[in-house]
Amino acid sequence: MTTKNQIEYPLDEAVDFVIVGSGSAGGILAKELSTGGFSVVVLEQGPFREAKDFTHDEFEIFMMSGLAGGAAHKRNQTFRDDESKVAEVPTGPNRAPAFYAPGIGGSSVHFSANFWRLREIDFNERSVLGAISGTNFADWPITYDELEPYYTKVDWDIGVCGAPGPFDSPRSKPFPMPPMPVKSSGVLLEKGATALGLHAQAEPLAILSKPHNGRAACIHCGYCMGFGCEVGAKSSTLAAMIPQAQASGHCEIRADCAVYQLETGANGKVSEVRYIDPAGNQRAQKARAVIVAANGAETPRLLLNSANAAHPDGLANSSGFVGRNLMYNSHALVHATFEHPLNDYKGVQCTRVVHDYYESNPARGFYGGGGIDARPFLHATPIMYALTGQPPGKKQWGAEFKEQLAHNFNHQMTLAIGATSLAMDRNNITIDPTLKDEWDRPAMRVTYRDHDDDLSNARFLRDVAQDLVAAAGALEQWTHPVVPQRGGPHLLGTCRLGDDPQTSVVDRYHRSHDIANLFICDGSSMVTSGRGQPTMTIMALAFRAAEHIAAAARANEI
Amino acid sequence: MKDKPITRRRFIGNSGAVAGSSLLRISVPAALALAEAACTAHEEASAFKILTSAEARELVAISARILPTTDTPGAREAGVVYFFDTVLADQFADQLGGFRALMGQFLAGVESRFDGAKMFSDLSEADQDAYLTDNDKTPFFGMLQAFTMMGFFAMSSYGGNKDNIGWKLIGFEGHGAAQPPFGYYDAQYMQGAQDDN
Repeated sequence: MTTKNQIEYPLDEAVDFVIVGSGSAGGILAKELSTGGFSVVVLEQGPFREAKDFTHDEFEIFMMSGLAGGAAHKRNQTFRDDESKVAEVPTGPNRAPAFYAPGIGGSSVHFSANFWRLREIDFNERSVLGAISGTNFADWPITYDELEPYYTKVDWDIGVCGAPGPFDSPRSKPFPMPPMPVKSSGVLLEKGATALGLHAQAEPLAILSKPHNGRAACIHCGYCMGFGCEVGAKSSTLAAMIPQAQASGHCEIRADCAVYQLETGANGKVSEVRYIDPAGNQRAQKARAVIVAANGAETPRLLLNSANAAHPDGLANSSGFVGRNLMYNSHALVHATFEHPLNDYKGVQCTRVVHDYYESNPARGFYGGGGIDARPFLHATPIMYALTGQPPGKKQWGAEFKEQLAHNFNHQMTLAIGATSLAMDRNNITIDPTLKDEWDRPAMRVTYRDHDDDLSNARFLRDVAQDLVAAAGALEQWTHPVVPQRGGPHLLGTCRLGDDPQTSVVDRYHRSHDIANLFICDGSSMVTSGRGQPTMTIMALAFRAAEHIAAAARANEI
Repeated sequence: MKDKPITRRRFIGNSGAVAGSSLLRISVPAALALAEAACTAHEEASAFKILTSAEARELVAISARILPTTDTPGAREAGVVYFFDTVLADQFADQLGGFRALMGQFLAGVESRFDGAKMFSDLSEADQDAYLTDNDKTPFFGMLQAFTMMGFFAMSSYGGNKDNIGWKLIGFEGHGAAQPPFGYYDAQYMQGAQDDN
């Protein structure tokens, strides 16, 4: 039992903090606050898996969404691409519109662990470029320099390997570990980049290249993207933070507990957190303060579902910005085959990335920037390779198809583009008017359509990627049309940071503008989307928030 | 749902690297026994959980044209029909009705197109391919193509991918640790780095 021997707090005595969610932000907040001596209860709607629970069963992981809430997960949400339409439960093979992993450690358990920092420009890009009409494009209330110490804390406390790249922002301390050995896909990206006068740098990864903080190094099994790491080398909060939180003796983790409402008291503060326990009973945990870290989709849903007479539009929502400005990051893919075997299914996903197009360039005629990395993508495992990794326009059956399947698996790689999304009112999380989820909570409704600039930017970077694989000597390459996304695993911007209570949900220290003892920290905090790998920033924000929240609590200012 | 070969909803207490092999050890003899029984029992449905023998015969025939037996084994040898049976009885049970309806539509055209043939499995391989060519944009074909990929490549504990036939075909070494270099280009790169020293 993963919760055996942990402290247990009574429901009706207020703990210092209830944290809703145990993922990239929640896991860090739980560890930092509990080891700081505060009493903490973590409520997580998914199960408490241990490293030994992680399998390499591809059918279970990808066909049954084994780590991502199971097949029922996507039936708990509705989607539409425009507010004029009635949102519907998605059908067919598409993943959930808001794709995330319920469970201790959240989506950090299954992520691919690409850990880009934001740069100075990400924090003040609105000032540099000017307003973009029809969007909520804004500067952050903090700078890179203010966040840098916490990026470094992620490097060392969570465990990030890598090497500095030519365009990186300054770092106060070197990486704690060298980068992963370069894979064939990385070598080929580097070859293409060099030929085009671009720069391929080592991919920073939240995966241990050497033993670190008592955890084992990566064994190169190749089951990173979508899978949990059975040796604990992937730096999920499950591997890196939760054990320390539990060891503090001040943190009780309650798994399989689905929070449905935050209750406010006569003093206007949050008084208790209501949830459904694993046996299906309604419970309420009293708290002095509450931190919502449930991800950029679940956090706004909970705040909106907590509407009451004093807060008719939901908690912390006097601005109307709760749930607004959802950003998925835009994406594109280019696939290619080469003469010799790459065996790219082995090892981590990415070992090289090109960041020459990180910054927006007005001369291109649209806003946006991004990175291009080399990886097997979803084709590291055979079912997904067969279903999604084949060149389009060819017969998908017969002897020739079988021959192609047999040949390409070891000879194929993908360049993956991760890029910007603009914040807009029209992209949002709201409450579906009719659907209830499996706990009978009003379900989330996702409304999303990429900004035209995001699509233009993704197409531009896809064209660069096509040039890169050609320059690397690809025998054959193919891509797919860049079309508006209907879902994503990056759930950003829906309770943004800001100094102005009219246009943001939380202040620069993650305290909600409206309710003094309600804090929000996760992907929803991000003001802009970054260039496509947000988790490093979510974790850095969580370390920073924890420090300020702890200081405020000690000063009796909550 | 009771006698399914593996537990799925919650992860069971196997380490990932070991889970594959231990599940295989448990299930392979059973799968083989099932295969032997079913191959001689086209008129006896007892070897299948949910499929009828007639359905199984057609599914074997169609999937054998999707991944045909060539100089390497195909869908037939990998036993993908047992995967179909496993998942349609369990994980994809909610799709069984739709699957059967689409399959009925797909097969209904055979009799009208080919004189004297009632079932797809009655056709020559050339006629089967001709029929598939005309019908490979249908929802049923799309579904069965995807099922065939899953049955060919999923862990053999699900009934298909017998003896890891699918993995061997594509050169997938499967579970467990690996050591770099993994491929040609990184091996060359490492060699170059050593030569520079």
